[in-house]
Amino acid sequence: MASHFSGVLQLTDLDDFITPSQECVKPVKVEKKQGKSVAKIQIEDDGSYVQVNKDGGRQKLEKAKITLNDCLACSGCITSAESVLITQQSHEELFKVLHSNKVQPCGPQKMVVVSLSPQSRASLAAHCGLSSSEAGRRLTAFFKGLGVHHVFDTGFSRTFSLLESQREFVERYKRREQDKKALPMLTSACPGWICYAEKTHGEFILPYISTTRSPQQMMGSLVKQYFAQQKGLNPQQIYHVAVMPCFDKKLEASRSDFYINKDETREVDCVITSGEVEKMLEEENVSLKDLQPSAPDSLFSSVCGEEFLSHAGSGSGGYLHHVFTFAAKQLFGEEVTELTYKTLRNKDFQEVILEKDGVVLLSFALAYGFRNIQNLVQKLKKGKSPYHFVEVMACPSGCLNGGGQVKPSSGQNPKDLLMKVEELYKAEHPLLPEEDPHIAELYQSWLHCVGEERVKELLHTQYHTVEKMTNGLTMKW
Amino acid sequence: MSDMKENLILEHRLSAHPDSRCWFVAWSPSGSLLASCGGDKSVRIWGREGDSWVCKSILEDGHQRTVRKVAWSPCGNYLASASFDATTCIWKKKNDGFESLTVLEGHENEVKCVAWAPSGNLLATCSRDKSVWVWEVDEDDEYECVTVVNSHTQDVKHVVWHPNQELLASASYDNNICIYKEEDDDWECRATLQGHTSTVWGLCFDTSGERLASCSDDRTVKIWKEYPSESGQDLSWKCVCTLSGYHRRTVYDVSWCQLTAALATACGDDAVRVFKEDEGGDPNQPVFSLVAQATRAHNQDVNCVAWNPKEAGLLASCSDDGDIAIWRFKED
Repeated sequence: MASHFSGVLQLTDLDDFITPSQECVKPVKVEKKQGKSVAKIQIEDDGSYVQVNKDGGRQKLEKAKITLNDCLACSGCITSAESVLITQQSHEELFKVLHSNKVQPCGPQKMVVVSLSPQSRASLAAHCGLSSSEAGRRLTAFFKGLGVHHVFDTGFSRTFSLLESQREFVERYKRREQDKKALPMLTSACPGWICYAEKTHGEFILPYISTTRSPQQMMGSLVKQYFAQQKGLNPQQIYHVAVMPCFDKKLEASRSDFYINKDETREVDCVITSGEVEKMLEEENVSLKDLQPSAPDSLFSSVCGEEFLSHAGSGSGGYLHHVFTFAAKQLFGEEVTELTYKTLRNKDFQEVILEKDGVVLLSFALAYGFRNIQNLVQKLKKGKSPYHFVEVMACPSGCLNGGGQVKPSSGQNPKDLLMKVEELYKAEHPLLPEEDPHIAELYQSWLHCVGEERVKELLHTQYHTVEKMTNGLTMKW
Repeated sequence: MSDMKENLILEHRLSAHPDSRCWFVAWSPSGSLLASCGGDKSVRIWGREGDSWVCKSILEDGHQRTVRKVAWSPCGNYLASASFDATTCIWKKKNDGFESLTVLEGHENEVKCVAWAPSGNLLATCSRDKSVWVWEVDEDDEYECVTVVNSHTQDVKHVVWHPNQELLASASYDNNICIYKEEDDDWECRATLQGHTSTVWGLCFDTSGERLASCSDDRTVKIWKEYPSESGQDLSWKCVCTLSGYHRRTVYDVSWCQLTAALATACGDDAVRVFKEDEGGDPNQPVFSLVAQATRAHNQDVNCVAWNPKEAGLLASCSDDGDIAIWRFKED
């Protein structure tokens, strides 16, 4: 079994397929039943465990279960998470919810919302030979045909992520003298990078990471907090699925920070990858090519008419692009229309500089893939990083090359496929975050009146150091 | 076999890392110095003074745990030490001693080996975290990671560079050997050599780089030869010889003399052995014969053997007993 997680996570032992590993120290709660103290345990042919009491009575034993959250909170094996994830977040779960809605029309219905990422749109478009927008419209039709109520676009919630990142950067820049860890600001949208940072560099690195929520979790806020209220629903009555280019996004959705305690529900209930959507299409025997397109769900979608819109800059969300242009204008009154990316050590490490009269005003970088993340962290530790802002992504080439994207068909060159996906992604017209009236309206109607604290909760998040575990089993020489 | 013993004569025995293990020894490129490392967390530098070998300097305080391997830069001015504390230390020669220049961090846990490329610009490390890293050194002695490759499924025990190409080989607990090459600004595993039935502990290229010797917990030594590949894409290496029946325990290390082509092995049965290739044989089916052995070379497992690069026949070995032994191999 090959691991699907990004390389960064694999290095933190995420690909130990022992369930759970020897080093697992997580206490598992077992329901103790009153009974005689002496009993035998037998293993049946099907692998189940049966307790045989002294009197010959037999009782099937329950399996101890470890949740994904237990694994995320532990620095031990992490994790065997794959098998945990497969049971909690898969397209089968989505099918289950849809099925239960269908067979019990009078029973407790769930409103099913699917939020589709622009990168997944591009991946499925490349696979089916469509434009990205056309793939978006047909995927809308596909999901609605299955009984999904709304199909939204995380490009829409990404506008919130970009606007909040811009503001956060300027705020951090202004306090850089007093706060040595205000800069460089490191982006937070990549869950593989966040998981690695928390487990490996904890306290040192976390203050540098932007608190702005990723597009997936912005959409989580929008759907479960705002939209639910608008519809007069309890957040629990909504089943929210995100379609992402990345397996690590499943870990992100499972974070306790994104669990609404009061309503006992996650903001994003389930994440499925572009590849898993492709599998769903296959299982339903449907080709996107043969589907009648549906108009986009314009409530939470970035669209112009029937065309989906995107953002300028990298295929990983364009964080560097947007923060750079905004900061140049806000801090130095410079109008930047074209950014010049200079490739450094390799194509996944690039630099953008704002210079005036020979003085460097802003120094930004993209660092993708584990090797470049590694060098960035080491430079920071040695106080040798010259950057104000770094767009950090765990995957080489960024999100368009995410581990959850549709795999190349047999004989197809992976590099050619990636080029095609990038081309399709870039073909969608960019939207300027500041100029989206719909978002401005939501800041007014939704966020204006909830108070500063609440806005922080809804649009930002926090990170937690995972303490290194030591126990007798991890012998040290 | 009785006369073979005389072919390998003990010249010196040094209590190098007393009350500890001596894991590895490495000759400086000029052959005048020998570096050793051990369970006492130190690296020691040995040199000849008159008829004896003396400790010239001790490199301490660099590591918090066992130092597993040590490697000289091709220019002889730098030393790299790999430790179970998850770091690699770079030491620079200064006056008579060495000073710690920088510490390479990044591996998740125990670093098992470090090796300098012939150019001196690249350094490779490997770890129990299953990964192999390549680092680049710039003019200012700054080290940056150029790649992290995860081609093994288990602990990586050893890395070694090809003598004249930018080609890297690694050996692992997963029984395989991987060979890497830079491709399109990243490094890729281009060949996986399968054949050993247990952990591969050591690797050594011959002078030309056309052949690679590997040693294993399966108690054999294998010789691999490079062949032009049919597809023109992947590198093609085939096992052309297996030395079995000689070693009673795990073979921990193998060293191919760059001057005489003699092949020495370090074994868990406390012995040091020397093999030579029979002359006039078929290059596709070479035959190697045991030409010398010291059955009680050490009191415990022999961890490493190293031929001196300049003085033919001078061989160093080290052991779990903490000693270094210096041998003279004489051919009839």
